[in-house]
Amino acid sequence: MPSPRRASHQAAFPGLAFDELRASSRPFSRALLTTHHPLGASTGYMAGARQDWAGLVEAACRVSTFAVELSALAEDELPGLLAFLAGRPRLPFHYLSVHAPTKHRRLPEARLVASLAELPPHVDAVIAHPDLIAEPAAWSPLGRRLVLENMDPRKPTGQRVEDLEALYAVLPEAGFCLDIAHAGAVDESMGLAHELLDAFGARLRQVHLSSLRAGRSSHVPLYRKDELRFGGVLRRCPDVPWILEAPPPPR
Amino acid sequence: MSALDAFGDFGQLAAARARTRVGLEHFGARLAGVDAGCVTLMGSWGRMEVTHGSDADWLLIGPGDVAGVEERLGSAAGTRAIFDAQVDVATLARIGAAEDDTLNQTRRLLLLIESVPVVGPERHRQALRTLLGAYLGHERRDRRPPRFLLNDVVRYWRTMAVEIEGKGDRKWALRHAKLRTSRTVLFAGGLLPLLECHHVGAEEVERLLLARYLEPPVDRLARAFAAYDAMDAGARTFAAYDAFLGLLDDPERRGRLEDLGRDEAATDPVFADARRLGREVQQGLLALLFEREPLRRLVRQYLIF
Repeated sequence: MPSPRRASHQAAFPGLAFDELRASSRPFSRALLTTHHPLGASTGYMAGARQDWAGLVEAACRVSTFAVELSALAEDELPGLLAFLAGRPRLPFHYLSVHAPTKHRRLPEARLVASLAELPPHVDAVIAHPDLIAEPAAWSPLGRRLVLENMDPRKPTGQRVEDLEALYAVLPEAGFCLDIAHAGAVDESMGLAHELLDAFGARLRQVHLSSLRAGRSSHVPLYRKDELRFGGVLRRCPDVPWILEAPPPPR
Repeated sequence: MSALDAFGDFGQLAAARARTRVGLEHFGARLAGVDAGCVTLMGSWGRMEVTHGSDADWLLIGPGDVAGVEERLGSAAGTRAIFDAQVDVATLARIGAAEDDTLNQTRRLLLLIESVPVVGPERHRQALRTLLGAYLGHERRDRRPPRFLLNDVVRYWRTMAVEIEGKGDRKWALRHAKLRTSRTVLFAGGLLPLLECHHVGAEEVERLLLARYLEPPVDRLARAFAAYDAMDAGARTFAAYDAFLGLLDDPERRGRLEDLGRDEAATDPVFADARRLGREVQQGLLALLFEREPLRRLVRQYLIF
């Protein structure tokens, strides 16, 4: 009678072809938004509800209850956001970032930073535009919560590795937000996005995800062609929140 | 060379490892002249991550002069029930039996996945081999992560998470911060070698697991991040973990966490930092487990049922 147990000298059958599986089993471009976690919405694209923070949060929750970016893009929106968060609203998010003002700036830089430093401790990140940082040292009170975003081509600076390196030299704890559409607008090949990740990948805290309207800098829902174009870069960012800067694409 | 080196320089981790090595030599010297057999250290010592305030929780494995060991190494208050005691491997290896209570399970799992010998490295290795043998006895199959051990590692992780709630308010914030970071790293470091068994034949399983469990948990994670093409996420995970070790090694911030109760923690900036770093560590590990092939398939196949 043959033994029911396989003879010990018989070689094991091969395992899954690992490299092939890694490359092909996950159609990354097609599954981009539906499979990533955590995903969240920026309230910056919800223009109709400006300053109604409870309403904005409710709208953001319809996209995701895991991550959110509350955008106080105009300076006069910041006091309302501070008051809203000081009221300890029952927010469901695991990751909460705040976009610092970029428009209608009047406050001296140090005063603006002092206001941002008042954000409650559960705010994970404060996203800032490098082209609006005149005195980098003034931003140091934000410590690790300060996160610098790479800029689109229309801005005077903040697009390239060397622009951001100068700021990180003064702000060594600050994080990085990769705005993939901005990087793609500067360099369509996405080489710049890879360079930014090579240089600042260890600082990456979140990704801004959208497409840009042709010839303008306004964010629009992610085009299919950009899902493909961005796929290789996003594959390097599987662990951080992806914040949608435009409504989720209808697919 | 450590598997971690490929991910960058992590100053806190490097300093903690150097501190651990010096401490192990120091403890070894203290045990000179004692019939110590095999004495192991667990916890941050077992992970090679000693920081300011780390307890030296020891176990005497097998025969030896436990009173002599205690006299030389001391006994940390509050840990006596689990640590600073003599255990025999046969008792630890009664897995799942009625007498396999939380105490026995905790000692067994820590010995297997989070221990380092002070003296008796060969006996330590043999103890690990005995425990692996107990788990693998009837379950050595090609391309199959061993479910018996996998279930016990998962059970231990859930036990740690549940026990935090039962330990009351004292040191709640510190315990919670550790659960999100060092305990998470320990769990993942126990789990990933088991999933790696998917790549080997039955006769290689014990050798693979023994080799992995003799490494610090962070090195096991580093191997996995590298093997599954997740270098970027790995670098961020280790950077966050490194920052957490820096926080623990700062007496002021560690003291703050030790003093915080659950109600105060929600608005405390030090706890918020620790929570944030914990989220980044967990995000990195979740990305590895759920966004890389074939781990995603293995997690689905083995981790839930």
